[in-house]
Amino acid sequence: MKIVIGEGSCGIAAGAGKVHSALESALGGTQGVDLGLTGCIGMCFLEPIVELRDGETLVRRLVRVSEKDADVIAAAAVSGDLSMLDRLCIQPEDEEFLDKQTRIALRHCGIIDPTGIDEYIACGGYEALKKALLNMTQDQVIEVIKTSGLSGRGGAGFPTWFKWNATRQSPGKKYLICNADEGDPGAFMDRALIESDPHNLIEGMLIAAYAIGSSEAFVYVRAEYPLAIVRLEEAISQAKSRGLLGENILGTDFSCDITIKAGAGAFVCGEETALIESLEGKRGMPRLKPPFPAQKGYKNMPTNINNVETFANVPWIILNGGEAFAAMGNQKSKGTKVFALTGKIKRGGLVEVPMGKTLRDVIFEIGGGMIGKSAFKAVQLGGPSGGCIPADLIDTVIDYSAISATGAIMGSGGMVVLDETTCMVGVARFFLEFTTNESCGKCVHCRIGTKRMKEILERIVKGEGKEGDIELLEELCLAIKDGSLCGLGQSAPNPVLTTIKYFRNEYEEHIRSKHCPAKQCRNLLRYVIDPEVCTGCTACARHCPTSCISGRLKQPHSIDSDKCIRCGMCVSRCKFGAISAE
Amino acid sequence: MSTSGSSDLSLLDGVMSEYSQAPENLITILQKAQDIYGYLPVDVIYYIAQRTGVKPAKIMGVATFYSQFRLEPVGKYLILLCNGTACHVNGSEEIERLIGEKLFIQNGDTTADGLFSLRKVSCLGCCSLSPVMMINDEAYGSLTPEKVIDILDELARNARQEEGL
Amino acid sequence: MDTINLTVNGISLSGHEGETILQTAQRAGIEIPTLCNDESVEHYGGCGLCVVELEGTAKLLRACSTLVSDGMVVHTDSPRIRQSRKIALELLMSDHEGDCRGPCTLKCPAGTDCMGYVQAIGRGDCREAVRIIKDTLPMPATIGRICPHPCEEACRRRLVEEPISIARLKSYAADVVLRSPDPWKPTVSPPSGKTVGIIGGGPAGLSAAYYLALKGHKVTIADAMPQMGGMLRYGIPGYRLPKQILDREISDIAELGVEFINNYRIGKDETFAGFRARYDAVIIAIGAWTGTRIDCAGQELRGVFGGIDFLREVNLGHRPDIGERVAVVGGGNTAMDACRTAIRLGAEDVRVIYRRTRSEMPAQDEEINEAAEEGVKFEFLSAPEEIIGRNGAVSSLRIRKMELGEPDAGGRRAPRPIPGATEELDVDSVILALGQTTNVSGFEDIVLSRKGTIAADEHTFSTNMVGVFAIGDATNGGADIAVAACGEGHRAAGVIDAWLRGIDLPYRKPYVSEREVTAKMYSDKEVIPRASMAKRDPGERRHDFRQIELGLTTEQAEREGRRCLNCGCHDYEQCRLIRYANTMRIEPERIKGDKHPGYTERKLEAIERDQGKCILCGLCMRVCEEVAGEGILGLVGRGFSTVIKPEFNDPRAIAVCRDCLKCVKACPTGALRAL
Repeated sequence: MKIVIGEGSCGIAAGAGKVHSALESALGGTQGVDLGLTGCIGMCFLEPIVELRDGETLVRRLVRVSEKDADVIAAAAVSGDLSMLDRLCIQPEDEEFLDKQTRIALRHCGIIDPTGIDEYIACGGYEALKKALLNMTQDQVIEVIKTSGLSGRGGAGFPTWFKWNATRQSPGKKYLICNADEGDPGAFMDRALIESDPHNLIEGMLIAAYAIGSSEAFVYVRAEYPLAIVRLEEAISQAKSRGLLGENILGTDFSCDITIKAGAGAFVCGEETALIESLEGKRGMPRLKPPFPAQKGYKNMPTNINNVETFANVPWIILNGGEAFAAMGNQKSKGTKVFALTGKIKRGGLVEVPMGKTLRDVIFEIGGGMIGKSAFKAVQLGGPSGGCIPADLIDTVIDYSAISATGAIMGSGGMVVLDETTCMVGVARFFLEFTTNESCGKCVHCRIGTKRMKEILERIVKGEGKEGDIELLEELCLAIKDGSLCGLGQSAPNPVLTTIKYFRNEYEEHIRSKHCPAKQCRNLLRYVIDPEVCTGCTACARHCPTSCISGRLKQPHSIDSDKCIRCGMCVSRCKFGAISAE
Repeated sequence: MSTSGSSDLSLLDGVMSEYSQAPENLITILQKAQDIYGYLPVDVIYYIAQRTGVKPAKIMGVATFYSQFRLEPVGKYLILLCNGTACHVNGSEEIERLIGEKLFIQNGDTTADGLFSLRKVSCLGCCSLSPVMMINDEAYGSLTPEKVIDILDELARNARQEEGL
Repeated sequence: MDTINLTVNGISLSGHEGETILQTAQRAGIEIPTLCNDESVEHYGGCGLCVVELEGTAKLLRACSTLVSDGMVVHTDSPRIRQSRKIALELLMSDHEGDCRGPCTLKCPAGTDCMGYVQAIGRGDCREAVRIIKDTLPMPATIGRICPHPCEEACRRRLVEEPISIARLKSYAADVVLRSPDPWKPTVSPPSGKTVGIIGGGPAGLSAAYYLALKGHKVTIADAMPQMGGMLRYGIPGYRLPKQILDREISDIAELGVEFINNYRIGKDETFAGFRARYDAVIIAIGAWTGTRIDCAGQELRGVFGGIDFLREVNLGHRPDIGERVAVVGGGNTAMDACRTAIRLGAEDVRVIYRRTRSEMPAQDEEINEAAEEGVKFEFLSAPEEIIGRNGAVSSLRIRKMELGEPDAGGRRAPRPIPGATEELDVDSVILALGQTTNVSGFEDIVLSRKGTIAADEHTFSTNMVGVFAIGDATNGGADIAVAACGEGHRAAGVIDAWLRGIDLPYRKPYVSEREVTAKMYSDKEVIPRASMAKRDPGERRHDFRQIELGLTTEQAEREGRRCLNCGCHDYEQCRLIRYANTMRIEPERIKGDKHPGYTERKLEAIERDQGKCILCGLCMRVCEEVAGEGILGLVGRGFSTVIKPEFNDPRAIAVCRDCLKCVKACPTGALRAL
């Protein structure tokens, strides 16, 4: 029997580390029961997760485990009497979350131990590298990738083979970069892939490096991902010690080194030319294109940049053939896509589905619908560069062109589900605040334009919007898209444009009626005390910072809306739920 | 501002011998320096300039571009409050306001007693535990106002006890 | 080098390998705006102004960094490009904290560069001051004496103690230069062969004549009065403006070759059509000479005068019979001129009848005070109800007492009669100084405005007849102050000069950046009281028409000039930002918002950096690194709040800076200044 704990960042944040230590001491070196770990299983909503395995067979999956459960788990594992674990077992319907997925990039995640190389090799790891290096020419590798239809999973969806080929064709020393600067708020696919299956990334990168003829590769990882960096560092040294990385890999002429570079906190570095600047030790300010990185990139040499998920698909494609990958998906987009499903969703976590599935499949079939009573309102795709797709477009097919047609973008895979309690103007303001903070400041449209849009949106949510604001926002949006240098600025207006497109009435209601339909904009709220429910306990009045609540002891209280600063203190202090916002 | 300072520059020797030859290592050097000193003192920046040959103005540019770098010391407890989308829709603004009201600080500030610093950061990637904050590398998820007050009180108590010892 | 063939705006051009679209276009004389590009440094692409369209490419491209290639079809101007540039400029201006011009200049209806000449006087350079003034105003000695000086209302010195005495500095400098043996003369362009006829030789007509003559046109002014000057001569009493000063400045205009025809009235001496036929262009600048009538019985009586008519008679050298006791109705400057003139004609009892109170009087404070000093009495909250006569001559004036009502939407309290409260004043004459209108007889072919004035386009000054322009008090809104008429004459001259050369160049008020300021921002300024000018004693001056002001002394004037706070931007003339901003109609106010940190610093000894004016084009920084080879400057921060600074505030950086000032030269705005 083996006890395996899911120890990705989410799991650890939820307490998996403590569970691990507790289990360790509970087992106390008991023979016959191994304790191990794996990466992110992907069911974030059930973390911490502990699995009992017999060999490779999953016997029990225990969810929302706490360190207090360690003793009973240890006891069950030792005794073999698993019935005592029933209360911890995953509900059958929650298994749908995994059952309805098709996992290619995530195929090892939550299964193998990411801290060692052996389990990776045991499940066929580095076979693709062997196949490529020993049996295929560079052109053949590129050809397979072309056949597979793999396109950039970072967001833009540019054909991968084309970039590889362009870099290969450019004269001079070539560099390979893995973009792991996963900056979209609400996206954590790449982090999970690195933390849970680092060797798969290394293998994918090595195959790419071979194909383009590069001997020097970098992984640019967000500084906020310390665990990913540690696991990747370990994996690199393990691969080196096995002759899978470094000089004369697998005894061939092909040599390649991978260096990890930690980012230092700048969203714009997800843009490939900004990333290159950053890698060169400079401020991450985008360069003008052309020349493209494939012509002049890192140190002005031909450079190919792909994101983590793109590389993660490569070993599978080499092993299984381009046709097998292309068989998944639809006419327009091939293969699968990983999403980080979050927000007001019942079952949030990592989801990988074939292209061509619908948003409904992911949100309702896999995600199980809304977490609360409030109805599904929209889904935000693509983070600050993307947009909000409304409920009536829930049957939109997941492929690059269909998603783009809505005004959103596929993006890197952040999928944030919003319900009726989410204010769409507030969402737009949130993203504009993000882009304003992250704009590098180089070009005027982005530097000042996003700031101005944010200010207008702030005015609207404060109830100070005026007629013409929507049109002004639209005008600024179009100009900023047109005039910005890089992807950050060009896509920054998307959250505003899509929310105006689909939720114009919400904007109008804020502006004209000074009312927030989602009841989220504080300045537009009015707090009232229900006299039927109020017991006159005076708790609210005593804590009100502006003393705007009056009433006698044991008599219903009331709020003077003119003096109220809408701090919400009274609501949190009322034990009887008598105070509500309207 | 004086450029001669009191930082023990010898602590950087190892970092320098490994990285100072290539200008592209500047960010790595600054990261290591910050690990050592807790922030980037000006004399350290000048020393790095001297050793790497990168102009101080350039280093300043890099140090102020990336949100990871700090030019001032931070409090004993550095609160990184996640400002990701999921945290936003699940009430991180409420948490921010609460922390601000409780500690009398705003984003980027440090409390007068030097105990807490607050920094809003982009997505920490623990979206399913939103809203989330991280204090000195420990993540606290599914935050509610009560929970936040408890956590901050607890940390303040710990600090007082440590000082008492 | 290989030649590359491309098409820009439909023109076939050849570029060189490795050249950008911007370079190729510039060589061909096609201007593409850019703020962040400079040939001496690597392109940057920050400002976003140089965007162009390339056929076959969906995105706008930056001309500064896109290399030419064979077969390219480029457009540098299209609605989409203009919109992109417009927004870029609006965004930049919305984040630009600075004053292009001083508030004095902005408030001056003639747009005179007050700051420029005030400071020149402060340096003791009156000749330069006059040169600056005459860029927009041909009669500084005249206008400086009589102008109600809106410039001084705007002067920020007010936030320290009192405004600078801008108007009197103007006449001071003009007087000094007029007295000098070799007065300053403008440069006149070679003859254009075009002729311009101006009807009316007042401030508007004279100004237009001056600037058109400078452009080489042959100008003739025809005027109904015996001498030129219009209201300056016949409306303004000599104690404010000595006639010899006016004569001198008018003769300077005549010296430019402007021909004067006097005692000539359209409709009487010649038809307008006849006059029009003799010139390539005609300007109607006939002013407003007819007193406004009011609803008051007895206006036909002997002893009732219109304010303007009265002043004209006196200025013609006549002495109208006003008797001992005079009532002057009205509260404006004409009323003040009339009552003070009446005093000088020997009237014993002069009363100003005004229906509101002192604080609502439109006349200048100074004028009211001086009138009071000279013995004028004021009946406030009084309106004439009936002029009562005896034997066809005025014997008394019945006035109705008024009270002020509630403030209206504009905050102005309208007077309303108090029922039954009337009073009768025994008077020998009544002067009605209640504003004036234009007499348009003789101009029947010209379309009028709803107010009965001549309708002239506010941008082109043109009337309904081709080649016929109209300016000054006779047009649109009606009578205004003299400096406004001068300003219009100047602006119209520019438009008409262009029109004569076949170019449509409507006048548009230039867009400028303005700061909002508070007294707090000036709290560190030393208090220096405003120069007060010596005047003749009221007891003495009330008996004659000699000038009452004795002028500023040299010491006073220079000290006054040095009080200037230097509000305008040193770089206004060279600033590329404001030049581009004025190539299109921008409205940055609609996106008004926070501005990036703006403060002035002098970290490098020889250079002052005004962060508020910095547009972050990065040229200073790039020039410092790439051209000067120093790299002292760097970007600090990220995004909206980014600023460019010399490294820290480090003494070593100051030592490193060689004061080459290349950064200052490269700056496209006034953010950098060599000290």
